[in-house]
Amino acid sequence: METFEDFLKRILSIIFWLLLLSPVIIFPIFFLIIPVLGISIPTTNEFLTALIDPIKGIQLADKYGVGPSSTFFKIAAFPGFTFAALMATLIILYERKLIAKVQLRVGPLYAGRFEGVLQPIADLFKLLGKEIIVPERADKLFFWLAPILSIGLGAALLAVLPLSPNIYIARSEVSLLIPFAIIGFTPLVILIAAWASSNKFAFIGGLRALHQLIAYEIPMLISVLGVVILSGSLDLMIIVESQQQVWFIIPQLLGAIIFYITILSELERTPFDIPEAETELVSGWLTEYTGMHFGLLQLGLYIKFYALSLLFTLLFLGGWYGPAFLPPLAWLLIKLFFVITVVILPRAVMPRLRIDQLMRLGWVWLIALSFINLFIAVIEVSLGLI
Amino acid sequence: MIYSVIKEILVAFAVGIRNIFKKRMTLRYPEVKLDIDSGYTYDFKTDTASPGFKGRHILYTDKCTGCSLCAIVCENIADCIDMVRVEGNWPINERSVMPQIDYGRCVFCGFCVDACPFDCLFMTPEYELSVTDKRKLVHTPFQLAVFPEKKGTVKLIPDKRGAHHA
Amino acid sequence: MQVVNQGGDQMVLHVGPQHPGSGHFRIIVTIDGDYIVAAKPDPGYVHRGAEKMAEYRTYIQNIPHLERPVIIDATGITLPYVLAAERILDVESPERAQYIRMIMAELNRIISHLYWLAIYGIFLGHSTMFMWPMGDRELFIDLAESIGGTRVTFSFVVPGGVRNDIPEGFKERALKTFQYFEKRIKEYEEIFFNNPLMKSRTVGIGILKKQNAIKLGITGPNLRASGIDSDTRKDEPYCLYDEVNFDIPVYQEGDSYARCMVRLKELQQSMDIIRQVLDRMKPGPIKHVIRGVMRGEPGEAFVRTEAARGTMFFHIVSDGERFPYRVKISVPSFRNLIGMSHLLVGSRLADMPAVYWSLDYWPVEADK
Repeated sequence: METFEDFLKRILSIIFWLLLLSPVIIFPIFFLIIPVLGISIPTTNEFLTALIDPIKGIQLADKYGVGPSSTFFKIAAFPGFTFAALMATLIILYERKLIAKVQLRVGPLYAGRFEGVLQPIADLFKLLGKEIIVPERADKLFFWLAPILSIGLGAALLAVLPLSPNIYIARSEVSLLIPFAIIGFTPLVILIAAWASSNKFAFIGGLRALHQLIAYEIPMLISVLGVVILSGSLDLMIIVESQQQVWFIIPQLLGAIIFYITILSELERTPFDIPEAETELVSGWLTEYTGMHFGLLQLGLYIKFYALSLLFTLLFLGGWYGPAFLPPLAWLLIKLFFVITVVILPRAVMPRLRIDQLMRLGWVWLIALSFINLFIAVIEVSLGLI
Repeated sequence: MIYSVIKEILVAFAVGIRNIFKKRMTLRYPEVKLDIDSGYTYDFKTDTASPGFKGRHILYTDKCTGCSLCAIVCENIADCIDMVRVEGNWPINERSVMPQIDYGRCVFCGFCVDACPFDCLFMTPEYELSVTDKRKLVHTPFQLAVFPEKKGTVKLIPDKRGAHHA
Repeated sequence: MQVVNQGGDQMVLHVGPQHPGSGHFRIIVTIDGDYIVAAKPDPGYVHRGAEKMAEYRTYIQNIPHLERPVIIDATGITLPYVLAAERILDVESPERAQYIRMIMAELNRIISHLYWLAIYGIFLGHSTMFMWPMGDRELFIDLAESIGGTRVTFSFVVPGGVRNDIPEGFKERALKTFQYFEKRIKEYEEIFFNNPLMKSRTVGIGILKKQNAIKLGITGPNLRASGIDSDTRKDEPYCLYDEVNFDIPVYQEGDSYARCMVRLKELQQSMDIIRQVLDRMKPGPIKHVIRGVMRGEPGEAFVRTEAARGTMFFHIVSDGERFPYRVKISVPSFRNLIGMSHLLVGSRLADMPAVYWSLDYWPVEADK
C-alpha cells in the first residue's frame, strides 16, 4: 500500500521533471513549428483578458477566427455539435419523465434538487466509470469504429439544417437531399457494429435492423417529394420560406404522417423497436457494447433523433414562422418540443410489431400511400392551390 | 375499416395523454411511509382475532408463562421460535423461559399468536426489520418487548385525480 | 440461450430458465426457419416435494406450507385444501365465514389476473400495460391486506371458518376501489385491447379448437375461451356460490385474444360477486372452534374448486392421525402444459411469448 509520503514524493518528482524539461518541449514549439505553420496564438495577456472580461473575450476570439460568427464556432458550438449533444441529453431526460408520467410513476427523481434534472450528468459519470469490454474474437478496428461513425453521422446530419434565417452552418441549393444521403449510411453502421461484435444473436438482431431501415427509406424520400413539388426547390431555406402563408402539414397531411412513421422506424422506436428489445435476442446489435462505447452509440442515436425532428419541423410545420411577439428561434424551439413529444409518445401507448408485419407495412402500405400523396401534391399545384 | 383503425389508434394516444394529468401513484418511500392502523391480535377467551397487519411480534413479558405453545405450533411451519432462558425474577414464569424469534425464518403466518393462551404474543405493524448482520435477525425476548413507534403517515386513496398516496 | 445444430434445416433452441421470456421452466423448441415444428416443455425446476412434506405437518400447519406454491393466488389453493380438511375433520363453517371466504377468493382472482395482464403487456412490448395493472393491483392488495394481515400469503382460511372478521370501513373502501377500477378497465380496453397493433399480434394466433381443448384436458379461462361453458363455481357450487348471480364469459374463437378477453371480463364479474356478498352478509360467528388436536376419522375427501388459473383438485387421505396420510393436488397449470406444446406447433418464433403467456402458466404451481 502506498503511504501518503510516497504519494507526495511521486507528485513532487513529476513536477520537478516537468519544470526541468519544459524549456526543451516549449521552446521548439514556439520558435520553430508555429512560425513555420503560420498559426497565431493568443498571448498570455490576451488569454487572461478573455477569462476575466467576456465581451473583450468575444472580440479576441473573433480576431483569432473562433468567434461567434466563424465557421468553427458554428460547427462546434451553437447550431452544431455541442448544442445538439445538449439537446440529445435533454431529450433523454424528457423521454424518461414523460413516459413515467403517462405510466403514473415518477421518473428520475433524486439526481438534482428538482425532479431529477441532473440525471443525464449522473448517467454520464456512470458510463465513464464502467469498463469497456472488447470481446476476444471481435474485429477490433470496426468494433471501435462503430460508435464514432454513429456520432459522426448524427452530427453530419446537422450540417445543412437551419435554425432561423441567420443561424445555419452551411447552405446549399440541394440541401434537402443531404440529410437523406447521410441517413442512407446508417444501415452500414449497424452492419459494422453487428458484424464486429462476433456474436450470433447480435448479428441476427443487426440483420433485422438492416431490413427494417432499408424498407423504410423509400417511403421517407417519396413522402418528402410532395413538399418539394409544392415549394418548387430543394433548398431547405426556400422550403421554409414558402411556408409563410400556410404550413405544409395542411395540404400534405398524408405525407406528414408517412414521414412521421418512417422517423419512428429510422430511430428504432416503438412500435418498431424489434432490434432493440427482443424477448428472444437479448439486446440486438448493441449487445456487446459497454460503458462509454455504449454511451457514444446512444448519443449518436439521440442526436439523430434531434436532427430528424428538426427536419420534420422545417419541412412540415413552417420552421421559424409564427406571430411576431417571439423571436424566430423561439418559435422553432417550441415546434421542435411538440414534435419530440409526439415522437416519444408511441413508446408509451403502443405495443411492438412483429418483423413480418413491419415489413409488410413498409414495403406495401407506406410506398403505396406515399405515391398517392405525391399525386395529391401534383394535383394541388396544377389546380393552383398553392 | 381504415377509419376504425385510425380511430382506435387516436383513442389510445388520447388515453395516454389523459393520464399525464393525473397524480402519480408512487410512494416516495424512505421519506414518506404507509400508515397501517393496527397489528394482528387474538383474544383467547372469546376465540376471536382482530384484523390487523402481521408484522414484528410483541411479547408482553409480564404475562408470559413459558408454556411454549407458540414454539410447538411453529415447529413444522417455520421453526423460528426458540424458548430461551431469561434473567430476572418472573413470578408466573416458573422455568424462566420466553420465546425468541428468528426473523430470517419467520413467515409471518400468525399461528403463534393464535396459539398463545395468555394473550401475551401479538403482532405489530412494524415491517422494517432489515439488518446488516444476519445474527441481529434473531430478536431476543426483551427486544420483542419493546413496542415500535408509529412511522406511517399516508394511505393509498383512489379518487378522481388518480390513485395516489395522501 | 443454447443453440444446438441438428444438421439439416431444423434448429433446436433451448428457451431456458434464464431467459427474459420464460418463467422457471424451459421450452425446447425445434424451429425450421421462422416456424416452430415441435415444442417440448421441460418443467420441474422448482419442484420441492410439497405433497410429501404435507404428510409431516398437521392440518393447520399445512396451510402456510401449501400456500407457497401458488403464492399469487393464495386463497385459490388454501380454500380447496381447507374444504377437504373440513370434510375429514367433520366440521362445518358458519355462514358468515363462507361469505368471507368468497370475498377473499374473488379478491385473489382479481390480483392474479392483474399480474397476468401486466406480464402480458410487457411480453408484447407495451410498457405502460405493465405499469398500470401493477399499480392498480396495489389497491386490491391493500384491500386483501386489511382482511388477511399480509400482502400475499394470508393463511387466512382455517378448518372451521376464517381467522378474523373483516374490519370496519371495509365495505366503503371496497366500493370506492371498485368504482375507480371500473373506469380503469375501460382505459385498459381503449389503450390495449382495442389497439389495432395488439390485435394484429393476438387475433388468430394460437387457436385452440373446441374438440382439442376437451381432448387435451385444458382447464380454466383457456377452456372458456374455446367455447366451452364450464366453471366449477357454477357446475359444483361450493361455499355459497349458488346464492349470488354472476355470468361466465365464454368466447368462441379460441385464439390468444379470446383468452385475454375472458380474463378481462372475469375481473368485472369478480367485483360483482364481492358487491353482492357484502350486501348479503349478516353478522354472526366466523369460526367454529375445534378444541383439542385436529384428528379426523380414517377416510378420504375430494374437493374441486375454481382457482384463478383453472380447476384445482384436492384429494386428502387420512388414517386417523393428526398428520394427513396423503395429500394429492392436481393443479391447473400442469394440466394446461400439454396445451402449450400443442399450440406452439405451427406458430412463429416471434409469437411464442404471446401464445405461451396467454395460457397463464405458473411454473411454481405446476412443479409444486
